[in-house]
Amino acid sequence: MTELESNNSLSEDEFASLITDLAERPAERHQLIELLHEDHPIYDQRGAATIVRMRGWILHTLSKDQIKDDELIFVLEELDTGIDPYLVAAAAKALRSYPNPKRTFAPFVVHALANIRYRDEPVSFSEYGGYGDETTILQELLATLEWLGESARSVLPELQALVSQPAGLSKKLLNRIEKIVRSLEPVNDSTESCCLRLRDRFTWEPRSRKSCTEIESVLFEDQNHELTTFAEFFKGQPSIVVFFYTRCDNPLKCSLTITKLGRIQRILVQNGFASRVNTAAITYDPEFDSPERIRGYGENRGLLPGPRHRLLRARDGIDSVRKHFKLGVNFIESLVNRHRIEVYILDAQGQVASSFQRIHWDEQEVVNAAIELLDESKQVQDPNSQIGHRKSAFGNTFGLLASIGFAFFPKCPICWAAYLSMFGIAGLGQIPYSPWLQPLLATVMLINLGSVWLRARATERMISFYLASAGAIAIISSKFSESLKATALLGIVLTLAGSMLSTFSGRRQQKELTSH
Amino acid sequence: MNVELQINNSTSTRARFVSWVPSPCRIRITNPSGAASSHNMNIKLSSVSAASGGEVVFRKGTTGAFASTITLSVPINGTSVPFFVAGRFGRPSANNGDVKIEARLGNALVGSIKLMVRVRKNANNLTTGERDRLVAAFAQLNNQGAGRFADFRDMHTNVSSPQAHGAPGFLPWHRAYLIDLERELQNIDPSVALPYWRFDQASPNIFTLDFFGVSNTLGTVQFSPTNPLQFWRTDGVPGINRRPFFATNTAPPGLRTEAQTLALGNAYPAFRTMEGNPHGSAHVSFGGYISSIPTAARDPLFFLLHCNVDRLWAKWQRQFSRFDPAVAASFDGAANPIGHNLPDTMWPWNGITTPPRPPTAPGGALASSPCVSAPGPQPRVRDSLDYQGVINSVSSMGFDYDDVPFA
Amino acid sequence: MTTKRKATKKSAKPRSTRAAMSVAISKSKPVKERVAALAEVPLAVCESDKDLQATLNVLRDQDEPIEVRLASLQSLQAASFSVIAFESCRADYIATLRKVATDPNPELRQRVLGILAREKDGFAQKKLLEGLQNPTKALVPPEKALQLLSYDIHSEAYSVARKVVENPPNEDAKREALRLLAADAKSAPLFEKLLRDKNENAEIRQISAAALQALKPEKLQSNARDILLDDSDYDDIRATSLTALTQFGDAEAVAKDETLKKHVGKMSEKGGAKVKRSARQFMSKYGR
Repeated sequence: MTELESNNSLSEDEFASLITDLAERPAERHQLIELLHEDHPIYDQRGAATIVRMRGWILHTLSKDQIKDDELIFVLEELDTGIDPYLVAAAAKALRSYPNPKRTFAPFVVHALANIRYRDEPVSFSEYGGYGDETTILQELLATLEWLGESARSVLPELQALVSQPAGLSKKLLNRIEKIVRSLEPVNDSTESCCLRLRDRFTWEPRSRKSCTEIESVLFEDQNHELTTFAEFFKGQPSIVVFFYTRCDNPLKCSLTITKLGRIQRILVQNGFASRVNTAAITYDPEFDSPERIRGYGENRGLLPGPRHRLLRARDGIDSVRKHFKLGVNFIESLVNRHRIEVYILDAQGQVASSFQRIHWDEQEVVNAAIELLDESKQVQDPNSQIGHRKSAFGNTFGLLASIGFAFFPKCPICWAAYLSMFGIAGLGQIPYSPWLQPLLATVMLINLGSVWLRARATERMISFYLASAGAIAIISSKFSESLKATALLGIVLTLAGSMLSTFSGRRQQKELTSH
Repeated sequence: MNVELQINNSTSTRARFVSWVPSPCRIRITNPSGAASSHNMNIKLSSVSAASGGEVVFRKGTTGAFASTITLSVPINGTSVPFFVAGRFGRPSANNGDVKIEARLGNALVGSIKLMVRVRKNANNLTTGERDRLVAAFAQLNNQGAGRFADFRDMHTNVSSPQAHGAPGFLPWHRAYLIDLERELQNIDPSVALPYWRFDQASPNIFTLDFFGVSNTLGTVQFSPTNPLQFWRTDGVPGINRRPFFATNTAPPGLRTEAQTLALGNAYPAFRTMEGNPHGSAHVSFGGYISSIPTAARDPLFFLLHCNVDRLWAKWQRQFSRFDPAVAASFDGAANPIGHNLPDTMWPWNGITTPPRPPTAPGGALASSPCVSAPGPQPRVRDSLDYQGVINSVSSMGFDYDDVPFA
Repeated sequence: MTTKRKATKKSAKPRSTRAAMSVAISKSKPVKERVAALAEVPLAVCESDKDLQATLNVLRDQDEPIEVRLASLQSLQAASFSVIAFESCRADYIATLRKVATDPNPELRQRVLGILAREKDGFAQKKLLEGLQNPTKALVPPEKALQLLSYDIHSEAYSVARKVVENPPNEDAKREALRLLAADAKSAPLFEKLLRDKNENAEIRQISAAALQALKPEKLQSNARDILLDDSDYDDIRATSLTALTQFGDAEAVAKDETLKKHVGKMSEKGGAKVKRSARQFMSKYGR
């Protein structure tokens, strides 16, 4: 990690100096990002308000030199679920330092506006921890909306609703919103797609998932005082796990997370998966969150407890659990001082297969991620098996060969004989001309294309599919005209590139993600 | 011969509660032995009160005057006969079952049923028993921070406050809030009704060690060792902070009196300015939890304060006949924020958590009552107006104030 | 012939907002009138920026009489309950509160810091903590600072609260420090120790009982039992213990505890008034 690891005794002034110093050294920018992780030791034993000042100052400092792509998640997270005025204002300001506005940003800004509009406060960024009144949260959010310009088109209905029902909004702010609305009207049906993928979801391939051996024996107590170990509850079928605590004072975090877990349970019931996928909510605060407290908390938010659906507190080993999941949480005394939103999908071996962090997740997407694991648990029993991976690589190679075969398939028996003799394969001259092979090869080529598409969708990298599609089109086109013959070679190259990208994209992504 | 009496058309003991509003009841002969006639028997119903107990009155139909007794012609074949019972205005119960309806055939007693005339009273005038039952029920609901009270606390925060404040839905929302809490208290002890803190009058009996506590100079509320509110806990912190800016044997200064509040105007837009004074002013006549929106509901006194706010609205409604949502002056019909228009459902009971509503909806649907069906699990703003069933009897919500009559 | 004038009744109808506001901000009017006028018009600040700024100016102005400044604060605070209407006022209101938090008048400081602390305002928490760590910078007494910091259980007050419990400047401060520590589950052993210490004052022991009931109810139950069986302990704590067991005890365990029930039965007949009362409540639940 960093030189800051053991520095939770830094005063705030020392912290501010350190941040300024790091900001002046571009090579150390990654340390600033490290400091935005909630479990960083620098936040240990700090109060929540102190952490707000610290994080706000980091965001403000980062924004002096353009927020980068991999830093955006921390900015958008504050706009999505933040209720601390200083941090939300810092995030709104930081967003404006991004090189150019994106459509993705607009819903976050409007969401923050809805969350915080009745709690406007003065904020100041002229010095660390300043509580001056040079600006306010709403002014910063509106400035960001103005900066978004055309990219705010997707939230025009919400802005129009604000104008038509301003409630207590001040005239000055209302005028600014009206101006934004006027600049966006009339509505233009642009089909420009959202262009920025947020790094809020992480997926691990079976053989690369971290073993849960270290926490298998951790003892949990559920909402009914029943005891179970990690292995007993989580091994055997996939699980959806969220973390929370009953004294969380941000309703957009734990309260909403548990409410959404209840919705997940209902989706599982409706689709017949309730007995095949576990759900669990584990408290960060096992000492205070007694079974009665977690039961009440869950029931009041619509959770449906059952044998495979529980609220849990660790009777021992909570530190191991924290380490295993790399939970984004820190403490003052025994109380949580800050945490991120996090939900984990565990496979049937209790290993983390994917996680959703920071930005609010979609219930159906989480359910889908868990259900996908049901198929996986039917196939490979040994979590270290290479078979799954090899199957995928083999499939892509076979598909590629089929594409090549289809591209160069001989038109007549004479060409057929010529090809075989060119390859000097003795005995192949005995194989009669088999025209039926051509449509078969074409079919295999298209099946390969389909598999590339599925993989691209799962990894959210469509480029491999685009390449393979272009290759297939080029190969097929070459069949229709002599003048397009050369396109067959281009088609093979494109198909090869798409297939290789598809095969290796998962491995590369997992590498990138584990370095976060 | 024996008869069966049903209060609120129910045999459940939990339904044996009435207020000033007529409650539908039934009588039927369950054992006709010894009956002189083969058709109908004339059964006389009368009210018998314990000392300082409640008293009820009767009428046969949905209209007409009430009487101390009625005689009903009841078929011998067991068919039930409807009638109506209401508490006699000014004679509420002090204890559960302190009023009895007796059914007599001639001089023979053929049936009886104990019930309670349960209404919201001035908290300053409660009996020791009423006071003790109330604090016990509150403490149970709180259950040292682990009970259902946490939902009521979570309904009144900074995040949710726009659903209920600063716009016309303020009074309807708080009326629904109070009835939800009151019904939860009644699930613990059905004899409990929320009392009101008459903040424009001295109420020294409220601020005692055995009731809502005595504040020291710091504003920490102290309770008697026998008072279960000493275990009160909210947001993980024990105790209550409440520092009065007035001597608690007097009324807080600067608050509009009841007369001044009722004189604000005969149309709702004018009347609802009472949200500022006396409502807001009552809140800020203390320091501590009750004086800020995000913490106000942590202090159980909050509910007594709002009970009085609601009582003032009820009185105003009675004075100007403002029960009908179809009458313009009964509400503020301008285009209002969501949750503040007559047809709007009210959060959190509607369970809606998409913007512009808050992200979660603690507590679920509004609690039901064994006595009445209104306002329903997901009330609309309009459903809060006709709380006595003046316009439509099924709208009656089952509560009344000791000084606001029905007819 | 003289005509008797009818004595005019004080009108129940309030004066207009404009009339009240002009009295409220007029330095030439008597203090009492201005205070009364400010109480009448909380919502005026929501409707007019001019009225808002005028009221904020009164609050900020150290030359204004303190009664008028406190009344303006209450008026703004009352208005803040009308959240939607108050929306455009809030930023200026918070800015003014932060300025007034360091006012020379202690009552005004205390009220303003209270309002900010209930909003979990970082500025207020910082000032309160500074005052606890360095008494020369204290804006309010330590017991008040601890009380206000307890509005946010995530505040950084725990270590200083522990120091205050070990070495209290006064009993009030110790009490408020304990209330604050009751949010920390790790403090349960401290509360158990204080509960059993007969040399501690009744209120400290009562706070300890309440804290232990929430943090480790099984510990409170066993300690309460011991206290009740000890006739030499004080009535107040025995009454508290009885109330805890009656209201929140493990009903099954208590119902089976014949020794305890017999002892409490005697207390219901022979104890002091508080003990008798709570013993009777206990017996009415658990029977004889």
